Amino acid sequence: MKKQNKPFQFRGNYFFLFVLVSYGLLFFINYHIALLALEKAFKALIKILPILIVVILFTALLNYVLQPAKVINHLGKKSGIKGWLWVLAAGMLSHGPMYAWYPLLESLRSHGMRDSLIVVFFASRVIKIPLLPMMIDYFGWAFTLILSFYILVGALVQGWIIELIGTQAPSSQKNTNK
Amino acid sequence: MEKKQQTQSSQQPVFWKVLKKTSLSFWGMAPMLLGVIGLVGFLQALVTPDMLASLFQGHLLADTMIGTLAGSLAVGNPVVSYLIGGELVEKGTSLYAVSAFLLSWVTLGFIQLPAEVEVFGGRFTLYRNILAFIFTLVIAAITTLSLGMLS
Repeated sequence: MKKQNKPFQFRGNYFFLFVLVSYGLLFFINYHIALLALEKAFKALIKILPILIVVILFTALLNYVLQPAKVINHLGKKSGIKGWLWVLAAGMLSHGPMYAWYPLLESLRSHGMRDSLIVVFFASRVIKIPLLPMMIDYFGWAFTLILSFYILVGALVQGWIIELIGTQAPSSQKNTNK
Repeated sequence: MEKKQQTQSSQQPVFWKVLKKTSLSFWGMAPMLLGVIGLVGFLQALVTPDMLASLFQGHLLADTMIGTLAGSLAVGNPVVSYLIGGELVEKGTSLYAVSAFLLSWVTLGFIQLPAEVEVFGGRFTLYRNILAFIFTLVIAAITTLSLGMLS
């Protein structure tokens, strides 16, 4: 199979520029809040770095071990119930903010992962297994159990709706069928 | 044995190649991720948890909507959403609103929309966020109704 090597380029340059300009403006308007914002952003960056390193290693390992055919088998159109269960579990176990997982999901998507499964992954992330005891402590057993149950059902229904609507652009569908 | 060692040594650089390629693709996303992180700091400095809690007025429908919007505007660890949610319940805010707030905190996010569009495309982002918004309201409602029926 021929692989196309895309030339390296930075993504989201305008967005980054917009954020920089916003910070610049905030420095003029309120220097103290701007400094506080910078400090909070720096703390967020420090917090997310270990997660990003894990995600990079995990993505590389997946790219190394899983051939596109295998990804299609596990997460593609014919993955069946196995695919849904995989992403439900992955969503509940995934840690850190949603955007830390974008590169991994983009990579899996380019190998043939279905959009509906990406939606299920995002929707099931509301359930944080390590945080469940805390949720029970704050809101009680009944609330936590019922909410978690509906979150799981809701995640699957959202995935099913995306499956019906279809969100993949024709070009990415072509890649998937390779 | 020698053959095995040869194949192992010829396989080893491949992983480093893959790792390098993956790291490079992450590096390419650096402006996008830094932009999102920059906005996280921006919002955390401007919007405090107290400000979010003060948005709730005591009207069922309005509070549920406010809960959904506040959750999607807020950023940070979900633990913070539990703290605010717990406070709101103590203050007497409806469970509809608190559930919507907890759900939208994780599934919806204004600040990551540009990054989501860049990675997954506008169509996917639009559909996913509309669905997440609707399901936040639906799940909040049926959770509270189910709890009411049980009690």
